[in-house]
Amino acid sequence: MLQAGRDLQALMESLGLRVLSFLDTTRRLTAFTLITTGVILTRAGTAHRIIHPLIRTQLVQAGILLLPIIAVVGMALGFAIVGQTLSILTRVGQTSLIGSLFVTVIFRELAPLGAALVVLARVGTPTVVELGTSRALGEVEALEALGIDPVHYLVVPRVVGITLAVMSLTVYLQIFAALSGWLFCFGANLPVTAGDYLGRIVGALHWFDFPVLGLKTLAFGSCGALIACYQGLSRPLRLEEVPGAATRTVAHSVVAFLVLDAVFLVITLLLPG
Amino acid sequence: MNPSPIIRLDSVGIRRPDDSLPLLEGVDWTVFTGDWWEVTGAHGSGKTALLLSLAGLIPTVAGTITAFGDPVVAGAPKPPGWVPRVGLVFEGGGRLLRDRKVAENIALPIGYHRNGTLPEAIEQVWPWIEALDLERLADAPAGRIGRAWAQRVALARALSLDPEVLLLDNPTVGMDETHSEWWQGFLIRLRQGHPLLKHRPMTLIETTDAPRIGIQPQPQRAHLENSRLLILPPTRTPGIQGSHDNPLVRHP
Repeated sequence: MLQAGRDLQALMESLGLRVLSFLDTTRRLTAFTLITTGVILTRAGTAHRIIHPLIRTQLVQAGILLLPIIAVVGMALGFAIVGQTLSILTRVGQTSLIGSLFVTVIFRELAPLGAALVVLARVGTPTVVELGTSRALGEVEALEALGIDPVHYLVVPRVVGITLAVMSLTVYLQIFAALSGWLFCFGANLPVTAGDYLGRIVGALHWFDFPVLGLKTLAFGSCGALIACYQGLSRPLRLEEVPGAATRTVAHSVVAFLVLDAVFLVITLLLPG
Repeated sequence: MNPSPIIRLDSVGIRRPDDSLPLLEGVDWTVFTGDWWEVTGAHGSGKTALLLSLAGLIPTVAGTITAFGDPVVAGAPKPPGWVPRVGLVFEGGGRLLRDRKVAENIALPIGYHRNGTLPEAIEQVWPWIEALDLERLADAPAGRIGRAWAQRVALARALSLDPEVLLLDNPTVGMDETHSEWWQGFLIRLRQGHPLLKHRPMTLIETTDAPRIGIQPQPQRAHLENSRLLILPPTRTPGIQGSHDNPLVRHP
């Protein structure tokens, strides 16, 4: 009985420590987000001929170079979800539901999440390694000594570039998913014309889907980028600590994506229509 | 005309970031325009921390540091358009941005502060690249050049902003004789007034393990020991005039 009490106390202490650690990380991340937002707003016109090329580089790395992967993911989603569901709906004579299904599952949920996860995996982790190594080698202090704001030079281009990349890649993923869904119908000789297919998708969309999608991808992209930059720069890292920071980035980002997804789901459900 | 004080430390205390014990305590020091100071001390005595605090990179835990009449506060937000008047060359390769080329490293501060593109900024700093014999390395990635050359690139980078005071953290440590002699000659030229600085004598504060003896002008010397900064009397060698008389020099 006494042992069970001790075990319970140890469990509660461990749980309490984890909760405190989570709250502390959230507080620090919020502060980092506010600092970065402040720098974006106050230094918008400062050194733009140095910063804009850095943003373009990030857009290429996190956007254009990831298009092939996004195409594959989009095609897979289209085949797996749209194509197969349409096949079932055809058998029960409910093909009219395909528009609602596409909008609910792919347009609103899987496309933003899929694009954000692909970018996180391919760019988020290298970002932590780059920034963590820069911090470990003292390059951040060197920038400070030269009067260059490290947040402006290192964080802002990554946050802006990665966010824009997630927003753009989400749209491409939706297009590829819709296209492959139609290709499945065409290949399987299902009785759905291209006009019907597209018309039902467009008909299932509401006006609010577009601003909500914009905000959601903005939130996913900036959240993943900020977490990666925070983990790389928040404290002096020894070189051997960099991989651990990369792992934490993935874990924290996935949790953040799920929380944000839940928030946007509630928002969507509360909206009329 | 008497030289004017440009950096002043009043009862300054500094702690290591990861340690509660004081690294430096009660440091009183005044640096005048055109001074050349050599700060010596054992490994871990606080030489680097002293320079970092002068550059505003680490906070003091006691006292005040004033540079050009304004308090130096680490981490304080800088207004847009602010350009540092104190240059810093870090120890051990100068902490260059490894993913940038040598010329880009040198040009980045100018490009950033004057809102120019990197190619434009490289054109502006090219005289410094030539003056420091770095032309053949200009297109090399900074992460792939030798440490002695990286240190020289860091010097060019610090000078590109035309600072009034140059802080050098043990710049010649681990260098061969050729590089060490180059550094000595170049620092003398900076102290006397380099043509690229319009012949304005540069104020130099250098930490070192090997004080320069018998050079002209002779640097003033300070020594860190037991968390204190001791101002040493001028070193005089036969036939060579020592450093100019400084009212702050404490003769033990």
